[in-house]
Amino acid sequence: MKINTRDLLSGIILVLFAVVGYWLNQDHNLGTPRRMGPGYMPMLTFVILIGIGSVVCLLALFSGPNPLDKWTKGEILAVPAAIAAFFVTYFILASLNIFQGNYYVMGSAMFVGCLVLAVPPGWRALGLVHAGFALFGLLLEQGGLMLALVGCIVVAALADPDHRPKGVVGMVIFLCVLCWWVFIKELDIRVNVWPQFL
Amino acid sequence: MELLLNNLAHGFSVALTLNNIMFCLLGCLIGTAIGVLPGIGPVATISLLLPITFGQPATTAIIMLAGIYYGAQYGGSTTAILLNLPGEVSSVVTTLEGYKMARNGRAGAALTIAALGSFFAGTVSTILVAASGPLLTSVALSFGPADYFSLMLLGLIISAVLAQGSVLKSVGMVVLGVALGLVGTDVQTGQQRFTFGVPELSDGVGFVSIAMGMFGIAEIILNLERPEQRSVLAAKVGSLFLTKEEFSRAVPSVLRGTAVGSLLGILPGGGAALASFGSYMMERKMSRGRHEFGNGAIEGVAGPESANNAASQTSFIPLLTLGIPANAVMALMVGALIIQGIQPGPRMVEAQPDLFWGLIASMWVGNLMLLVINLPMIGMWVKLLQVPYKYLYPSILVFCAIGVYSLSNNVFDVYQTVLFGFVGYMFSKLKMEPAPLLIGFVLGPMMEEHLRRAMLLSRGDVMVFVERPISASMLAIAAVALIAMLLPSLRKGKDKALSE
Repeated sequence: MKINTRDLLSGIILVLFAVVGYWLNQDHNLGTPRRMGPGYMPMLTFVILIGIGSVVCLLALFSGPNPLDKWTKGEILAVPAAIAAFFVTYFILASLNIFQGNYYVMGSAMFVGCLVLAVPPGWRALGLVHAGFALFGLLLEQGGLMLALVGCIVVAALADPDHRPKGVVGMVIFLCVLCWWVFIKELDIRVNVWPQFL
Repeated sequence: MELLLNNLAHGFSVALTLNNIMFCLLGCLIGTAIGVLPGIGPVATISLLLPITFGQPATTAIIMLAGIYYGAQYGGSTTAILLNLPGEVSSVVTTLEGYKMARNGRAGAALTIAALGSFFAGTVSTILVAASGPLLTSVALSFGPADYFSLMLLGLIISAVLAQGSVLKSVGMVVLGVALGLVGTDVQTGQQRFTFGVPELSDGVGFVSIAMGMFGIAEIILNLERPEQRSVLAAKVGSLFLTKEEFSRAVPSVLRGTAVGSLLGILPGGGAALASFGSYMMERKMSRGRHEFGNGAIEGVAGPESANNAASQTSFIPLLTLGIPANAVMALMVGALIIQGIQPGPRMVEAQPDLFWGLIASMWVGNLMLLVINLPMIGMWVKLLQVPYKYLYPSILVFCAIGVYSLSNNVFDVYQTVLFGFVGYMFSKLKMEPAPLLIGFVLGPMMEEHLRRAMLLSRGDVMVFVERPISASMLAIAAVALIAMLLPSLRKGKDKALSE
């Protein structure tokens, strides 16, 4: 058997997603074919998806070889570590009860998880670009647009080793001015521009 | 005929207001810019700019977004010819002959024919959209819910069949998209489905979040992982004028390309990329200069470049007349329309004449602008390529971030996008196509509604789908398309056509 690893994984993902969906759908009323309840279409969709996913898995056993990219030891370790970091941060912050509402807990947990993921060089771009994006969400409402932009750009810039501090500073200034002009002056989106705690 | 002219005149009166001209120009400029730049495509750009268009009337918004799509087809050819770097997927085949022409010192001629061919194709397909719109609409109005359901099913299956890579996986992605579309409030009972108690999810998963995560952020990361290969020296542009011989060789190719492109654009799942591949294959087999292919044959530029522009415009036909998106860009247009409070469908021509005719007229105006933007200003666009990607990607990222937040002024959307960024990255590593997913996501909720209505009308009898002739023929075509792609010989042909 020549296993097509990419296809096998794709099939497993499709089936897993569908099985979880099917299970969650148990709460919804199916109704009859004539008068379909809220659960009918989901039921159909997930059954079809389980079918397709299974066939993808089955065919993948013979259509290979098509291995995944090789992962280094650090890369293998970083994935569960990042997921663990996400949940640990989430539960610690949630139990502290200092951040109320607005998804601060979720955003912080995502940010920490992404940073942990970025430790091995192979995941650096993946982790840091997402970390920058999450940081933007964290800083935006209390820190204001400018602080959020600076945070997002600096973290994301770390993803490319070619960046030099001077270039990053220039880029930060340019983008802050550009975003202020486009989004605040021209489009007038409703968002704080400067930090609220000053 | 007279009615058509009247309607077109009305369209021009809409398209030629100062505001609409400005936004059309803006769309064309942005489109050309992202067309020139490799690594950012129309799907990412349109989802990025979607929130910015909210403040504008629907017509203006769609005019600008459309300009981005067909503008990208013009811009994509520039880098393909001068640098052997396709700026868009749809100009991959242009590199084959276009760059050879540039090395033979005929870069200017290649650029000219690409622009003129595109302009000709744009004009023809504009007329095509205008003529077929009302025609198809009157047909579509006789459609019942069962016919609609089957039509959407057909669209989904063809978009999966024509996607790159394994058909079965693409069908899986379509269904996954439909499943994601189920999240939110059930329209008929008001029950919350799969929302996990998150109030933000009661309107469904964020459409823009999915598009930006999968096409914007994931794309940035993949580009960062790839070593940059943009330091190639640009070829000299040279004279922009065509010789008599080049002109007479290019004319039939432009005509053929326009025809092929218009046809492949209407097809669900089709679009600019497919059209340029199709036209290239055709030119290599049929054109007068086919023995010169590989050494810079002008037919290899004229055909595909006309085709991709024609297709980018005719792919609006199923959207404007039936409300069905033919490809990922059109799925975004549906999103834009729905956010503006317009339900795409056959009633749009009557209910929104400004939008329909204004958009058509603006396409022609936009093509004219693009001709001017591209030919004399070519040097400026080449300069744009000297901006290194390391300065480009943070800009894309922050525009994404602000855009996604300003959708509903909610940071939840930002975090949602992060999640879809990871998912999109994983999909691309596993060679799972995100475009069919997006189409499934958009069509899923509409399909559910039509399915429910059809079954209610038929008193729960499934046979309604095969008893109605329209519905039955749609299902038959869908079945044939699926079976055909399972035949190994045809599948190989498609893979070859898409990978060359």
